[in-house]
Amino acid sequence: MARPATLLLYITVTLTLFSCAHKNQQKTHLNDYPLNLAVKKVTLSNGLRVLIHENHKLPIFSYYTFFDVGGRYEKPGTTGASHFLEHLMFKGAKKYGAGKFDTIIEGNGGSTNAYTTVDSTVYYENLPTKNLDIIIDMEADRMVNLLLDPVAFEKEREVVLEERKFRYENSPRGKLYQQMMRAVFAKTPYGGSVIGDVADLKSLSRDQVMQYFKKFYAPNNAIIVIVGDVDADETIMKIEKKFGALPASTAMLALKKELDQPQLYRHQGVYKREIKSYGTSPTPIFMLAYKGEPLGTYKSFVMDMLSSILGDGQSSYLTQKYIKGKRPLLNNINVANYNLKYSGVFFLSGELLAKTNYKRFKKNLLRETRKMCKTAITERTLQKTKNQYLIGYYRDIQSNAGVARFLGMRENFYNDYSYYKKELDIYNKITVQEVKDVCHEIFDKQEYILVSLWDKYKKKK
Amino acid sequence: MRKFIIVFIYLFPSLLLLARASETMIQKYDWDGIEVVYLKDARYPTYNALIYFADGSLSDRKNELGATNAMFSLLGAGTRRFSQKELSDNLEYYGVSYGGSSTHEASSYAISGLVKNIIPTMKKICHMFADAQFPPQEIRKAKIRAKDSLNSMVTSHSTLARRVFRELSLAKTPFSYPVGGKLRDIRNLKSKVLKKKLEYFNKRVYKKIYLSGPPGVLAIKDIINKECGWRKKQSSFKRSVSYKPKKFHGTKIHLVTVPNANQAHVRVGRVLNKDELHKHELMQLTSSYLGGGFTSKLMREIRVKRGLSYTANAFASEQKDYGRAGVASFTKNSTLGALITVIRDTLASVQKGKFPKEELERARGHLTGGYPFKFEMNAAYLGELIHLDHTGRDYADILKFIDRVKSYSTGDVMAMTKALYSWDKQTIVVVGDKSLLKQLKQFGKVKMHNYKNFL
Repeated sequence: MARPATLLLYITVTLTLFSCAHKNQQKTHLNDYPLNLAVKKVTLSNGLRVLIHENHKLPIFSYYTFFDVGGRYEKPGTTGASHFLEHLMFKGAKKYGAGKFDTIIEGNGGSTNAYTTVDSTVYYENLPTKNLDIIIDMEADRMVNLLLDPVAFEKEREVVLEERKFRYENSPRGKLYQQMMRAVFAKTPYGGSVIGDVADLKSLSRDQVMQYFKKFYAPNNAIIVIVGDVDADETIMKIEKKFGALPASTAMLALKKELDQPQLYRHQGVYKREIKSYGTSPTPIFMLAYKGEPLGTYKSFVMDMLSSILGDGQSSYLTQKYIKGKRPLLNNINVANYNLKYSGVFFLSGELLAKTNYKRFKKNLLRETRKMCKTAITERTLQKTKNQYLIGYYRDIQSNAGVARFLGMRENFYNDYSYYKKELDIYNKITVQEVKDVCHEIFDKQEYILVSLWDKYKKKK
Repeated sequence: MRKFIIVFIYLFPSLLLLARASETMIQKYDWDGIEVVYLKDARYPTYNALIYFADGSLSDRKNELGATNAMFSLLGAGTRRFSQKELSDNLEYYGVSYGGSSTHEASSYAISGLVKNIIPTMKKICHMFADAQFPPQEIRKAKIRAKDSLNSMVTSHSTLARRVFRELSLAKTPFSYPVGGKLRDIRNLKSKVLKKKLEYFNKRVYKKIYLSGPPGVLAIKDIINKECGWRKKQSSFKRSVSYKPKKFHGTKIHLVTVPNANQAHVRVGRVLNKDELHKHELMQLTSSYLGGGFTSKLMREIRVKRGLSYTANAFASEQKDYGRAGVASFTKNSTLGALITVIRDTLASVQKGKFPKEELERARGHLTGGYPFKFEMNAAYLGELIHLDHTGRDYADILKFIDRVKSYSTGDVMAMTKALYSWDKQTIVVVGDKSLLKQLKQFGKVKMHNYKNFL
């Protein structure tokens, strides 16, 4: 047994150590390490935007092309067209026919791929420096001269259907995500599925896809970003030579104006409800979704901070509460602020522990969302998030491809590749009160859509 | 601090890919018996630190399987001074990423963050290594999570296929059991076991430290020596396994059934015995030709020509004492037979040299031209160095890679395909619906399993 004096000393020392653990931690301001990427930007007369960042560390470069087209431009009956087209862009064009594109790239030590979202379609290549000329030529060829060979078209349809099974039909999380997006963005252009509905994928014709290509693939709907061992001026000249003569599409601009009318994107989902669906998850998985913000609003940045405070890292509020706490209820939890070009969704997702009662958990979580704004957001948790964001920015730019994505996404969404500087400024200025206010705004009204999936639910016929 | 060598890589201008790395050079240090490899890169205010331990889950006794993996993942669960919450809050305040991982043969602990915070960060990490208590209440929660995670594995058929394939294709070798153990092992994970395990890694196991970033990262020497307590050469144990080489007696076929699957995940492959681990570059060229990238032989046959799958890849990888070679793909239920037939016939045709020379040249170009990308990111560069050290190879192999790949002939690739992928040596694992049995039977006798046997 410790004597009182020793015990007091022990308590004092323990408390001192405990408080030192926090107080001695220095603040890092987001602008302590100013990030400044030297970029040459040119807009060709046909509207094609080109960004070049030189990095001569190794004789390699990354080449990204961002097209401002994605699932949001698809209509019922043609869902999946953007993504299907993305696959077909590798199947040959006029000058570089079937099998040439990836053969040339991989044969020269490069790699290539692409991805499609509701807002964008992005193609990328990573190559040794000596291949700059040929990739510019090939990309210019496929931007306007796609072949869409009928045999390759049918083979690729099968491939996409397999991808769909892999990512969604056999993946409870993929299925849940699709349902959440459909419910939140119902009756808006974001309510379709990027991979496409099976019936649409089976019925999409070559002509429909070709029309889609002609509508949206044009130099004035694209941004090229090249990062690596290249000379910026020379590269711009090469691009001008190959892309300069490609015609801009004025029809596309008019069409996009019509399709991007803000009122089309206003949230119309039915809130304060729950959707349950069968899936092969032995424990319930859920997404609790709230209306979000489009990219670039001040509130969207505050919501970024809020989502990180609540769910990023082992010490985050909800991780401590539901996973690491005394009586854990979940196996994992995530909080996401997903900002799209014209709308957004803020959602919590997680997986229950087998012993957790779903009904009781639901009540518990909804109760928690009403009180957590008061306790979760403090000077320390906000500062911790700011520190994490600074490192996150540096992690994003460790490779040429990382820098290309970093610049291209900002140019694509904000028409300003250097928008990261503004982002850092905004994040730096955000206050505890602002995060609290936004937190209350999201959660207090209890306007949510709860989507859950479990193998105990009934199968729909 | 004794710097005993400034390594050669910077000094080989012939290797253009690395000579260009003017801000990047490798240095080696001896920190009181602890070897340190430092990749200098002052472009960003960030660092990567990786602590390598020359032992892994093979150190786990029968009644403590999974202990090494659990010890490294629960290192931050609490010390005598700090709770799990305080430790994670403290490190995350600095924006630090940290965590451990294990394989059968080795373990590592990775830390990255801002250089200006490396001192307090490493102090905290060393405090965890020196004083982790693995509090029973935290262990209890971790066990519940581990159990649930394993039971939920059925939600990802590809993850399940990877786990099952290891166990079945590496059967009768020391490397088949999952590093993290199985459901039945979880109950054996106790504070006492994990503390003993940590003590073993702290005191007996050989360690090496890999760093990248600005020179400020070297300021952690005293923390490593004094606060982690790692110094001198008494910690010298390096895991090395002797085992009876596995013999192969015909193709083994396994169907692992999962409910409600409309897709079959297929793995075909085998373990490579220690005496087969040579000609590293030829193994890479062969597996890359067969299944690396979109233009590989298998991708062309499976996806482009027939639309059977979204993806197909082949691999041949080496650890210190064993290796693995295999093919992975998936397809819809109705085309499982077609997929396996294409894999079998493609492997056979390559063994017989029935392929155009330009296909192999493309694979060669893919491998040699793409080699610099392995050194683009510091974390990946360090990973390459660690692998060379772990497998007992020289860093000079980096410089010889391209010439070696260029030196191999069509005949060499045919022979290596035969050595690695002969059909009668392969284990075929299919994860999918039980109705797939009928199609599988055409390839031989099929053993059926419930996926739960592998959890």
